[in-house]
Amino acid sequence: MTGRSDAVGAGPSAPTAGRSRWRDSLIAWSFAAPFVILFFVFMAGPILVAFVSSFTDLRVTDIRNPLAIEFTGLTNYLDVLSDARFQKAAANTAVFVVVGVPLTIVLGLAVAVGLNQGVVKARTLFRVGYYLPVVTSIVAIAVVWRLLLGTDTGFINGTLTIFGIEGPGWLSDERYALWSVIAMAAWRNLGFLMVIFLAGLQTIPKDLYEAAEVDGAGPWQRFKGITLPLLRPTMLFAAVITGIGYVQFFEEVYVMTQGGPLNSTLSLALYAYSQFSFGNYGYTAAVAFVLFVAIAAVTFFQFRVLRES
Amino acid sequence: MSTLSPGRTMPTEVPAPGRKPRRQPSTWWIYIPLIIGLLLLVGPFIWMLLGSFKTTGELRQVPPTWWPENPTLANYEDLFSRLNFLGYFFNSTVVAVAVTVGNVVFCSMLGYALAKLSFPGKRVLFGVVLGTLMVPAVVTFMPLFVLVANLGLVNTHAGLILPFLAGAFGVFLMRQFIGGIPDELLDAARVDGAGEHYIFWRIVMPLCGPAIATLTILTFLASWNSFLWPLVVATSDRMYTLPVAIALFATGQQETNVALLMAGSVVVILPVLIVFIALQRHFTQGIAMTGIK
Amino acid sequence: MRTRGRSGVIAVTLVVALALVACGRDDDDGAGGEASQAPEVDTEGASGEIDVWAMGAEGENLQTLADQFMDEYPDITVSVTPVPWDAAHDRIVNAIAGGEVPDVSMVGTTWMGEFATLGGLDPTPANIDPSQFFEGAWNTTVVDGVSYAVPWYVETRVLYYRTDLAEDGGAADAPGNWDDLKAMVQAMQDAGAEYGISLQPGGTGAWQTYMPFFWQAGGEIIGEDGSFTLDGEPCVEALTYYDSFFEDGLTPPAAEDVPVEGRFANGEIASFISGPWMINIVKDAGTEEGTFAVARQPSEEAGTSFVGGSNLSVLEQSDNKEAAWAFVEYLMQPEVQVTWYETVSALPSVTSAWDDEQLSGDEMLSVFGEQLEDAKAPPSIATWEQVAAEIDGVIEQVTVGDMSPEDGCAAMQEAASGIGTGQ
Repeated sequence: MTGRSDAVGAGPSAPTAGRSRWRDSLIAWSFAAPFVILFFVFMAGPILVAFVSSFTDLRVTDIRNPLAIEFTGLTNYLDVLSDARFQKAAANTAVFVVVGVPLTIVLGLAVAVGLNQGVVKARTLFRVGYYLPVVTSIVAIAVVWRLLLGTDTGFINGTLTIFGIEGPGWLSDERYALWSVIAMAAWRNLGFLMVIFLAGLQTIPKDLYEAAEVDGAGPWQRFKGITLPLLRPTMLFAAVITGIGYVQFFEEVYVMTQGGPLNSTLSLALYAYSQFSFGNYGYTAAVAFVLFVAIAAVTFFQFRVLRES
Repeated sequence: MSTLSPGRTMPTEVPAPGRKPRRQPSTWWIYIPLIIGLLLLVGPFIWMLLGSFKTTGELRQVPPTWWPENPTLANYEDLFSRLNFLGYFFNSTVVAVAVTVGNVVFCSMLGYALAKLSFPGKRVLFGVVLGTLMVPAVVTFMPLFVLVANLGLVNTHAGLILPFLAGAFGVFLMRQFIGGIPDELLDAARVDGAGEHYIFWRIVMPLCGPAIATLTILTFLASWNSFLWPLVVATSDRMYTLPVAIALFATGQQETNVALLMAGSVVVILPVLIVFIALQRHFTQGIAMTGIK
Repeated sequence: MRTRGRSGVIAVTLVVALALVACGRDDDDGAGGEASQAPEVDTEGASGEIDVWAMGAEGENLQTLADQFMDEYPDITVSVTPVPWDAAHDRIVNAIAGGEVPDVSMVGTTWMGEFATLGGLDPTPANIDPSQFFEGAWNTTVVDGVSYAVPWYVETRVLYYRTDLAEDGGAADAPGNWDDLKAMVQAMQDAGAEYGISLQPGGTGAWQTYMPFFWQAGGEIIGEDGSFTLDGEPCVEALTYYDSFFEDGLTPPAAEDVPVEGRFANGEIASFISGPWMINIVKDAGTEEGTFAVARQPSEEAGTSFVGGSNLSVLEQSDNKEAAWAFVEYLMQPEVQVTWYETVSALPSVTSAWDDEQLSGDEMLSVFGEQLEDAKAPPSIATWEQVAAEIDGVIEQVTVGDMSPEDGCAAMQEAASGIGTGQ
């Protein structure tokens, strides 16, 4: 079965006689125009402005006095890369992505497969339930997870004490905080991936499974031999989306740990945001575009690894 | 809203023709981990729901309580009386619906063009659109606000809607999904003399059920929950959306009315849940493709 | 100055020295003493519409005061827009950038430097007399020698403590100096509390708990020449003292995952330092009346605490400044300040309002009132938020991490100097 991950059809195979290419283009642009106009005005424009500002010393105090802005070339970028806190944030983010993406994907896939093939009753209930954390406000989730992970009074540590184990400071110890955040992110987002994989699973014809079963293949073999290969395109996009999202992880740490303790959960996006809140706009733009390079790199890497041959 | 920005399903293969799924023997052992998982995931929501019937004082107790000691409707009463609830609900609805409909229409149109038509600059356009997905949103806020202000759109519905009508994710999704529709289907129509717009609206879109359902859910969710942008653009009470209003009344300079926040969070979730429940069956709907050889 | 001869340098130094002696010194952070104000604004004949932004609970309730104001000034229409606190800072910045500003806005005290420096605020006219306010509060409105706002309501930080634990421990009196405080905390912990005190170990806003100790040791955030003076003797003393609570196990070693009021209510934590809003919060959480009290901060060279609260500013881009200042003036009247206290429990910034029974007669509130007489705010510089964040980080390194107080002081100074004052 050939996939079509990005070898999208290049248009009608043979132009019908009598239509000029010029007219084809015009028709095509009539489809594209509304989006393109809105996009360039409200999206590409501001991004361009932000990009230019990354080469200046733009600060909040300049907003009524634009003439005071000076071009500083690559200074912002150099400052960013040499800032110890930035480097810590980059390291944290790398761990978050490398561990978090596979973890969330595995969990989401497991649930999707389970729901698709093992569960007949109350499917809707399961789907809605697993998707609930995705929809719930991060503030409410944070409140609950803090109760779970509390050092002295948390649910997990409380349970551990029953067995005589003294639980660590899940959120207050710099050695554990990042892992706790990763766990929480995976928990929260697996429902989202479940939805994606459920849709992808629908594209696999049931008769393939039946045929394999007849041939004597067990569930795990069917999974490995049929499900996984055929899910490749879906997997690629799940990985890309999750990767792009996780490189920018922000909400969870903003609400739960504010980047602490001792910057162990500081993410690149949180770092950028704090610079933004200090009014260092040019610097923030530089951080954002460094982040952009990181995201592009991660995405590119995933395409290489997961792309169909 | 989750870390992940609205993404989408990616069925690149047209689902197999219409055989009904064989009824499978339910494997009970799968239920157990799934149920445990479900409890873990739904637990916080239930806690939040219960919390909305408590007082802030009770929510602050150590150790925390599960069932409300003195259940009260005060938070909900507060919510509906102190807040101009209908007004905020209206704003949230108008914006979310407009953004969702707009995205579905415009992104599908561009997705179709990118997937099935040829025109100069196609690759570059797709690359640019995709590229903007990877730029963190925080940088765009200031320039975008200045732009919106100069257009006179501050504190208007248009100001809340326009910047989000052109979502890169929607294009990505629709392009990939439409790409999976066999060209033969479209060529057949072209041979019959159908124009591209006819083909798009009458043939392609109806086939895009799952993708449209997904895009609708995700866009609606993102727009309904969106907080940061309405926070800066809606500068007076009459333009506030629900999440903004709830944050407003629940958070003080030093203290947070946690109970009110819980009640507010419950209320904000409900419409999204409804949309999700209504549309989620489309995730598993196979497309019946008949008449194709 | 390099090109002048030595005699020139000596002359200048003498003049400066004489000037310093002659003028007397005001030792508040930021610009102390006389701040310049704009010429008087004619508020008598003011009319038209004004738009007011207010945050949180104030936002909801301000309309009642606005209605009273409109009764007195029938030619002016006031519309109040409530704004969430989280949004307020960015909303105001955006408004100034886009030119779509309200006429009056609440401004957090730590935002003054930034907003004034970017030219968003109108200088306070001479109609408003600074002496009616607490000095520390007034100083929060002064940026680079000019006042740009009016203090509306204030808060300050005092010691909350469990009187029953203090009695059991034999330290029933409010602490006089640092040693007293230490002894008291130890005593309360011996009497059965898990922790004698809860001090913030870094994290956002930790500087507000640490700075008072720094000021009590005689430290100043910014020196006479306008540069940072965060290191030196006072810092080392204060930071060592602060850290000693952590070293001696008298305060929780890491950020608390449960709110302090719950633990205060059940006696696990015997004391903490915070502002007036906590009175109702600890009661709500179950602390019984009569089992707790508040006391002023301890005194070494001074007994200074942190003053916060909110200011009111008229925006520079407003097109009805007369009406705006008229409204602001109205809110400063002592009776109106008392009414405001009755409505939202916000402590008045106008000292004469404290003569009212509700404030002077309330035992706990009068402690706040006394503390307000000796309370400081950080300097109103445009970069303060960023500097404060660095200080928070260093405090964490010292109390939770293993940085020494000496290194901590040096780190604070280095970070602050690197950021600069944004002038």
